[in-house]
Amino acid sequence: MENALGIWGPQATLMAITASFTVLGMVMLLAAMLMGRRWKPSYAFELGFIAIMIGLVFYADWSSVKTYAAYQENLNIEEKKVSGIAVGEGEAAFDRIVTVIAFQWGFAFISKNEEMSRNAVVVRPGEKVLFKIVSNDVIHGFNIPVAQITAEIDPDTKREMWIRAPDKPGKYLIQCINYCGVGHSQMKAWLVVSADLPTAEHLNSGESN
Amino acid sequence: MTQELELERMGAKAHWKPENLTGKMSLNELLFSNEYRHIALKGIFTSLIMLAVGGIFALIFRAELWVPDVQFLGAKVYMTLMTLHGMVMVFGFLIPMVVSICYYLLPKVLGTERLYWAGAAQLSYWILIVAAVLLVIGRPDFTWTAYAPMSFRTGNPWLWMGHVAIILVAISEFLAGAVLVRNAFSGSGGWKNTPLIAWACGTVGLLFLVSVLPLGFVGWGLLSDGLQWTSVAFFDPSRGGSVEFFLYMFWTYGHPAVYLPFVPAIAIIYTLMPRFLGYPMWSYWSGVIAFILLMLGAMPIGPHHFQPLYTVSGDYQRFVQFLTLLVFIPSVLHVFNWIATLFMKPIPDSARRAIPFKFMIFAIAFIVYGGATAFLNGQIAPDSDFIHNTYWIPAHFHAMFFGFVGQMAIAGFYFLYPYFTGKMYNQAMANAHFWLWQVGLFIKITAMGVAGYLYFPRWVYDYLEMPGWVEAQFFISVGGYLVGLGFIFFVVNLAWSSSYGKPAPDNPWPVEFDGQPAPAASPAE
Repeated sequence: MENALGIWGPQATLMAITASFTVLGMVMLLAAMLMGRRWKPSYAFELGFIAIMIGLVFYADWSSVKTYAAYQENLNIEEKKVSGIAVGEGEAAFDRIVTVIAFQWGFAFISKNEEMSRNAVVVRPGEKVLFKIVSNDVIHGFNIPVAQITAEIDPDTKREMWIRAPDKPGKYLIQCINYCGVGHSQMKAWLVVSADLPTAEHLNSGESN
Repeated sequence: MTQELELERMGAKAHWKPENLTGKMSLNELLFSNEYRHIALKGIFTSLIMLAVGGIFALIFRAELWVPDVQFLGAKVYMTLMTLHGMVMVFGFLIPMVVSICYYLLPKVLGTERLYWAGAAQLSYWILIVAAVLLVIGRPDFTWTAYAPMSFRTGNPWLWMGHVAIILVAISEFLAGAVLVRNAFSGSGGWKNTPLIAWACGTVGLLFLVSVLPLGFVGWGLLSDGLQWTSVAFFDPSRGGSVEFFLYMFWTYGHPAVYLPFVPAIAIIYTLMPRFLGYPMWSYWSGVIAFILLMLGAMPIGPHHFQPLYTVSGDYQRFVQFLTLLVFIPSVLHVFNWIATLFMKPIPDSARRAIPFKFMIFAIAFIVYGGATAFLNGQIAPDSDFIHNTYWIPAHFHAMFFGFVGQMAIAGFYFLYPYFTGKMYNQAMANAHFWLWQVGLFIKITAMGVAGYLYFPRWVYDYLEMPGWVEAQFFISVGGYLVGLGFIFFVVNLAWSSSYGKPAPDNPWPVEFDGQPAPAASPAE
């Protein structure tokens, strides 16, 4: 399934790289302990190895920033407008905009026409949903496993993130991911994907179905 | 040159003779003596008690997490146990244990036979004891990171004790850092000839001195905000304070804090490995450079701990990410050095048999396991996916803190055991301890990583039956209990062997092939 971060391709590459040098380290350690053949590497060999590692650092940095910058393209459009650097569609890129209040302990979701629900947000399959998240007490987290995205919100700021809702109707977990007090374990909500929900356009034009 | 000198100091010199130090120690000596071995042993044994306490806490909440839903622990008690588990293990076991082992090793390896500024080390120890007592009485439930403003709003009337304990930990670690730096520069022969353990203690001592200052300030700010001493707060947003200020202050200590036990553990490897192999490390300067790079890299990268907050964004986020990924390099230099050393010459049979050496090899395996996979953690994109504050993070730091640092602390303990008891440990019980820990740790860490990949959140006492969550928690608990079982073998062994063990020979760690001393590399030559 496509996720908002669009991470799966680059992440799979980096996980494969990471796994391969974890295995390399283990194999070299085993070989040093068990193999009969002895070997004294040169400094040139070490420098070459370190050069490869530094190359990997540059690659990981580039890959991660590229993915994350693409994710943020249409976020925080108001700030971008102030700076005069707003490009792209901005909020028009999203099918649904939901304000989220994270509190001790739960999430409140407020739709564009001021409808509020606690601990459940209903969206249509495949919709692009923008969440504008605020916290009014302590630092909270906002994690939607099915959309593969996490953010944290501190009481001083507003945080935006977006997801592409799953195509399959159903109930998906939303959870707080930062310890926020004794009720942290109960700080969960549901992303309800339902095809019966009217689209945002319908609501705006006053229709209902 | 340098390493041959080090080897000679590590060898069969008179001051390395095993003796029954623990048996001869009077209570007064144990409590107040400034002799370096007495201070070190007091620190080591207190740390082992802390390990037992922190371990029991872990086993209690592991029983709760074994299956979903609430069994017998409420949220408040669970979080208190979890908070104390973290604080006791890091501030009570890991840091004091490896620092105490360095107090023991430094004077011997440098040949000074005394701990300079021993009074400061003594004071550092007692301040830490007061902090531990305050923690147990105050029973904080705000996790070891004590995030403001949550950490002074948990409704516990004795919460201030937790905040005072944070200040005391800072003072205690400051003193320990000063002692390490002072002693690191006490060797003769100049800095080019000083053993790697002195480089390690010098660099980590400086890191202690600088990084605990923000920790002390954080403790003070939490105390002042919690008790509302001033009308305007440091960290409380409802009274004009800033949460982000808290985060930057805390993690300016918090990231170096993970190197405070890590670097001395590395120093133990650099001291033990040539001793068991009978030949010097592959490279001296590679190790020195890695220590310096690790010290320099530690401070500015703290914000990667709260990177999904909006305050770490844009180019600053990228700066933090890049430096975080680069701090990988000094660790690679260390691991490369160790594996290259193992590869150079045939490994003596005596080393393969020695329990400290076995723990060391598996500690290296765990640093590879936990460290190499953490290459993903530094990157913003995967961090914003399944890494941040899921069980992936406990998997990482249990591999590094327990799999590496904890096991190196135990390796150092087994290594020193004949020197301070005059007896050898029981090989069979030590082997049981060793294998239970390796298997238990591997199961536990791997299951934690799997749980994290499935987005299992940290700090929950109750969880849903999401796919894979129940199985992962089950295996973490199994691994945890295997580690607990191994610890029982360890305690029985060290108690039994100190009375009934075989007397240790003059050189408890001879370098031998098939029972014959290694020809050219014997330290006695």
